[in-house]
Amino acid sequence: MTSYGLKQRLSSVAVYIFLGVMAFLSIFPFLWMIIGATNTTSDIIKGKMSFGEALVVNATTFFTQVDAPLIFWNSAKITIIATVLTLLISSLAGYGFEIFASRFREKLYTLMLLTLMIPFAALMIPLFMLMKQFGLINTHLAVVLPTVASAFIIFYFRQSTKAFPHELRDAARVDGLKEWQIFFLIYMPVMRSTYAAAFIIVFMTAWNSYLWPLIVLQSNDMKTITLVISSLGSAYYPDYGAVMIGTVLATIPTLFVFFAMQRQFVEGMLGSVK
Amino acid sequence: MNRKTVALAFAGASLIAITAAQAAEVTVWCWDPNFNVAIMKEAGEVYAKTHPDFKLNVVDFAKADIERKLQTGLASGVADGMPDIVLIEDYGAQKFLQSFPDSFAPLSDKVDYSGFAPYKVALATLDDKVYSMPFDSGVTGFYYRKDLLSQAGFQPADLQDLTWDKYIEIAKVVEEKTGKKMLAYDPNDAGLTRIIMQSAGGWYFDKDGNLSIEGNVALKAALEVIQKIQTANIFRPAAGWADWVGAFTGGEVASVTTGVWITGTVKSQPEQSGNWGIAPIPKLTIEGATHYSNLGGSSWYVLAGSAAKDEAIDFLNEVYAKDVNFYQKILVDRGAVGSLLAARDGEAYKSTDPFFSNEPIWQTFSDWLSKVPSVNYGTFTNEVDSVVAAHQPELAKGGSVDDVLKAIDEQAQTLVQ
Amino acid sequence: MSAISPRRLKPRFDVNGWLFVGPALALIATFMVFPILHSFWMSFQTGLGVRLSFAGLKNTYRLFNDPLFFTALTNTFIFFLVQVPIMLTLALVTASLLNNPDLKFRGVLRTAIFLPCVTSLVAYSVLFKSMFVANGLINTTLIGLGIVDVGIPWMTDPFWCRTMIIIAITWRWTGYNMIFYLAAMQNIDRSVYEAARIDGVPTWARFLHLTVPMLKPVILFTTVTSTIGTLQLFDEVATITGGGSASGAAGPGNSALTLSLYIYNLTFKFAPNYGYAATVSYVIVFLVAVLSFLQFYAARERKA
Repeated sequence: MTSYGLKQRLSSVAVYIFLGVMAFLSIFPFLWMIIGATNTTSDIIKGKMSFGEALVVNATTFFTQVDAPLIFWNSAKITIIATVLTLLISSLAGYGFEIFASRFREKLYTLMLLTLMIPFAALMIPLFMLMKQFGLINTHLAVVLPTVASAFIIFYFRQSTKAFPHELRDAARVDGLKEWQIFFLIYMPVMRSTYAAAFIIVFMTAWNSYLWPLIVLQSNDMKTITLVISSLGSAYYPDYGAVMIGTVLATIPTLFVFFAMQRQFVEGMLGSVK
Repeated sequence: MNRKTVALAFAGASLIAITAAQAAEVTVWCWDPNFNVAIMKEAGEVYAKTHPDFKLNVVDFAKADIERKLQTGLASGVADGMPDIVLIEDYGAQKFLQSFPDSFAPLSDKVDYSGFAPYKVALATLDDKVYSMPFDSGVTGFYYRKDLLSQAGFQPADLQDLTWDKYIEIAKVVEEKTGKKMLAYDPNDAGLTRIIMQSAGGWYFDKDGNLSIEGNVALKAALEVIQKIQTANIFRPAAGWADWVGAFTGGEVASVTTGVWITGTVKSQPEQSGNWGIAPIPKLTIEGATHYSNLGGSSWYVLAGSAAKDEAIDFLNEVYAKDVNFYQKILVDRGAVGSLLAARDGEAYKSTDPFFSNEPIWQTFSDWLSKVPSVNYGTFTNEVDSVVAAHQPELAKGGSVDDVLKAIDEQAQTLVQ
Repeated sequence: MSAISPRRLKPRFDVNGWLFVGPALALIATFMVFPILHSFWMSFQTGLGVRLSFAGLKNTYRLFNDPLFFTALTNTFIFFLVQVPIMLTLALVTASLLNNPDLKFRGVLRTAIFLPCVTSLVAYSVLFKSMFVANGLINTTLIGLGIVDVGIPWMTDPFWCRTMIIIAITWRWTGYNMIFYLAAMQNIDRSVYEAARIDGVPTWARFLHLTVPMLKPVILFTTVTSTIGTLQLFDEVATITGGGSASGAAGPGNSALTLSLYIYNLTFKFAPNYGYAATVSYVIVFLVAVLSFLQFYAARERKA
């Protein structure tokens, strides 16, 4: 019994060491970013690893060069609209493909997965022409529209739906619930952890998206935070101090979302149904 | 539609009418908020003094971002959504002019180009028409740490007429005496190769724009220098731009050979004031070799589809081709060396700089500027450059330069089409 | 598993099915399929910028005679074969360790490990470059610990350059994949574990014989998406090596040139040849399609 307990303790020490190292390696660059925000550009380039005194200077540079409220509002607007619409439309489709499978839809599904495979760089020019025809150049709608029906998220929801208990649906049908009621009243609450994961991923992707917003957004007042950081970082002598301020600020919303959502991973799915 | 929306729609319509009656706004895309963007805004203010209606809207994007936006927009064949004026790096000039014919407005009818550094005009000329308003120059200099070199026994007078072989010898002495490397060098970047090649009037292409790799004397000589620098181990390896900059601002190396636009960065370390000097870059020992070259630099272009085309051209012409005082201001404020040769007669160009021990460095640079050999950057500089950069690390292993040239030639042939 | 996996295929017209998938399909048709067809048409044209002309199969011919294309193809495969298994195993192991309800500091550890994929690309590239330079943190540490005598040539040797890229991608995306596993683990009935534990089934066996099979749909999902991600690898190679900048190679001897970076270069860095770039894109489509099919097939077979 004692040897079993010792073994147990040793293995749990190993687990903590492993996770601790993983966590340290993961967190290190983030710490470096925060430290960087307090250092001058030349110290940042030298890789200085201690806090400096340039925080106020860096923040002043950042906030005088960047209309921060407007830029963050633009990013927030795009991200929130994109996240809500993507979760709704893509989860409907993922559920639909899995539950109402038919031979024809199965073929469409395969075709849809194929669209994931083409590199975005190859689509930018045709997509830009299309947006032009819709008169959507330099609008936030043009940023959001192509991402809303995400084959990637549909794929994810379909795979996760495979774990959705069949009995629940059958029971709901017996109770006389309509298909849309089953989806909104049963499926959505039950699949909370799936939605939470998708929420984090979609939010993060939308918040950090770069290439497409860059192409369709034309004026300063429409830009997102990612675009602003990119142009700050491209000077002949980039002010990395200001870039770090921007980067830290730009990371906070996603981190906040992660903190808020991770509760959903802890509570099991079955608990929520009872 | 209720009354409120009708009123709004009406207000919107009349707003459009007012805008149309006013002078059109000129939109500019350029990169670097502290350099090009600030300079362009300054130019707008200068022009607005005589043209009160003039409105300039400068939008800043990263350089690579501008190229992406421009290419996507031009490829889609639509004029609106594009700026009126755009900044393009000189190496990419012919690529844009040839890939998107009729997309840029020729300026040669309006602008007198005789006052500009000839190589800047040549690079934006296509079919006898000039398309650019030449802007900042990348005339090169050899920036060195006076303190470190004198510690190694070399005085400024010893450094004025170097060859690359002599440079490498000096480098060895410097390391021996001071423990510092002579330069920071990124083996994955072909910038130094280009500087050396152009200083002897060579490029990846001949005068007609045809690929010229094997049998290119200047390129071969440049690669030989690159090989010696690597095998003599006189460099501190750098990975990317920030690391390269950090090496000389951090005092790790004794010199830097690059374009004049680096001056502001060199001066960003006030504690090194008085310790820096400039000299002409070392030269090759082949025919046509000079001490003068160029790295980077960019020019303004007006889009042919622009609604405010005439205004944009007039604006550029009045400020950038004529206003000598403007060039003094951007030199003092931003350290920008323009390509208008007449600018060097202004006060600022004659001033001395305490950071460089009161040498008249601007006067010196503008002298060198007029002597930079003209070459044809061609349509495919970036293609060949990426191939050359990829092969540079091979040279470090001591392989034959001829073999490397052959390999470069083979890969470049497929890209240049 | 068997209670939920077999899906009855319904051949009859089902209005509900269409209502659920309709909005998504309409959007995908407009914003994906249409541009894809357009770019497919472009792959039969050649020329610089807007000076395109019909070329038939000329682009395909050029492809087979293009040494850089083969360099990019080889590199992409190296990254795919080495990196995807390492990352997914690491993510799966981490997720199952973090899923233990008795573990302390779970929330903190989870968040920490998720952090890398949130970090902005700009900061990420500056940091990785500064850590991996010749006298950077990594080499100093390795020399200090006595693991190596001289610094590793991360930026000048093809092998080490690729290793660096693999470390960078793994660092950035392990936590991301972990999220999918963690979410899926919530759907597993805890009592099964408890029963196995009481029966004395060791941890590793529970992991291999309980966790992995139950997560199969999501493992398939992450495998396919990671395959797509790696075959389209762009960010890391463009920003950490000089591959994305105007002058610069994608690592020594183009050792980090990937297909996506090559497409990007053909479209934006080089004199733009949209037709040829589109042709190279369809190589990726073809490869991913074949690989995904194999992955689906492998996953399906084991079900029986």
